[in-house]
Amino acid sequence: MSTRSPRHVASVVGLGIGLVLGLVYTWAIAPVELVNTYPALLRTDYRHGWVRLTALSYVVDGDLERARARLDGLKQEDVALAMQALIEEYAAAGHSADSLRSLTALARALDVHTSAMLVYLYTPTPLPRPSLSSPSSTPLPTSVPTLTRTPTLRPSPSVTPPIPEPTLVSTPVQRSVSPLATTISNLTSTPSSPTPTPPLLARLQLADQEQICEPGQRPQVQVVVTDERGVGISGVEVWLMWPGGADRAVTGLKPRGGAGYVDFDAEPGTSYVLGVGELGVPLVTSLRIEPCPLDEEDGSLMGSWRIVFTPRPLDTPEPERDAGG
Amino acid sequence: MSEQARRLPEWFTQAIIGVVVGLVLGFSIGWWLWPVQYTNTAPDVLRQDYRDDYVVMIAAAYEIEGNLEQARDRLRLLDPEEPSAPVIKLAERLIEVGGSTEDITRLAHLAGALDALTPALSPYLENDL
Repeated sequence: MSTRSPRHVASVVGLGIGLVLGLVYTWAIAPVELVNTYPALLRTDYRHGWVRLTALSYVVDGDLERARARLDGLKQEDVALAMQALIEEYAAAGHSADSLRSLTALARALDVHTSAMLVYLYTPTPLPRPSLSSPSSTPLPTSVPTLTRTPTLRPSPSVTPPIPEPTLVSTPVQRSVSPLATTISNLTSTPSSPTPTPPLLARLQLADQEQICEPGQRPQVQVVVTDERGVGISGVEVWLMWPGGADRAVTGLKPRGGAGYVDFDAEPGTSYVLGVGELGVPLVTSLRIEPCPLDEEDGSLMGSWRIVFTPRPLDTPEPERDAGG
Repeated sequence: MSEQARRLPEWFTQAIIGVVVGLVLGFSIGWWLWPVQYTNTAPDVLRQDYRDDYVVMIAAAYEIEGNLEQARDRLRLLDPEEPSAPVIKLAERLIEVGGSTEDITRLAHLAGALDALTPALSPYLENDL
């Protein structure tokens, strides 16, 4: 026993040293070569970038199967986070409604949901609602499935989601009206008497316009869209247009201002037109940033505008839309 | 003392055998049973088909966003020295194998924006996407 014990100790020590050396070599000095990886192994920001690129490619080619294949193996959490960020970024930046509709169609097909996308799933539905006076004339999720049956102007059969959910508005007659037809119809109509999307947008009118003078605040055009009861309506497209440019935003993306709130930075000396809806139906024209009347020091304080749009009552004829600022 | 001296090589032999066995075990564990798990990789180590897809998607994103610097930054992840190289290589490979014309056209547009257009890609700039 006394002669075998040192051998045993030597073997164990040698084994331990060999094992440690082997692991150090294979894990640290010459680890498995890093080639032929796949997107799920990418760093988090690259993974999100991969999802973003997949979504943008879908906007271009409309190939849902290709998009699914590209996202295969990625965690749903990654897909959801990246898609939500992209849609909200695109909505806030005022990208085209077509792009946003494609993105939201993809998001829906991937079971990703975000508040900003509801607007674009809803917007192209050009059909009258069951009840004109119903508060549900605001963009609500219940109307979402209708749009995805006739998804975008892009003729891509793969956009159609696999599980259509029947709703009140998905009748054959309604499906026969395509967004393309509606868009053309709207484009050929005169801007002052649009028949755009839901009745609520067509009934919006200027209810209040107030100059806000706060030292240190950049001049803005703040818009609040409410329903008949004064409740803010989220998801309404608001356009601020000026000679040579336009900006677009959607109400409700700045929760601090309320569901119907949206604002734009504005410059003095520019004449703005404020419109709503996908076509930017003008409701206020010749809106200018002006000096605050009470600024007695040097007159350099420029006031912001706070403008409230509410729908006119159903039995009231459409008024003149030109309510200059 | 002489007996002690005779025993020392036996210990040494045992230790060497132990080290060799340990190394074999270490290599087996480190390379096959429990290799290094990479989780935070960069696009440049993606498998070739994913790299190709990545380049095609960059071209598609450029078509929408028109942001050349962003496209260049993304391509630098694949080739820091010559960002346009992956675009050209992929486009020419797709031409050779008869790949999607739409993809080739997008790649050609991106290559053109990067001032890296080749004669093989020039005809695709005339294609309307």
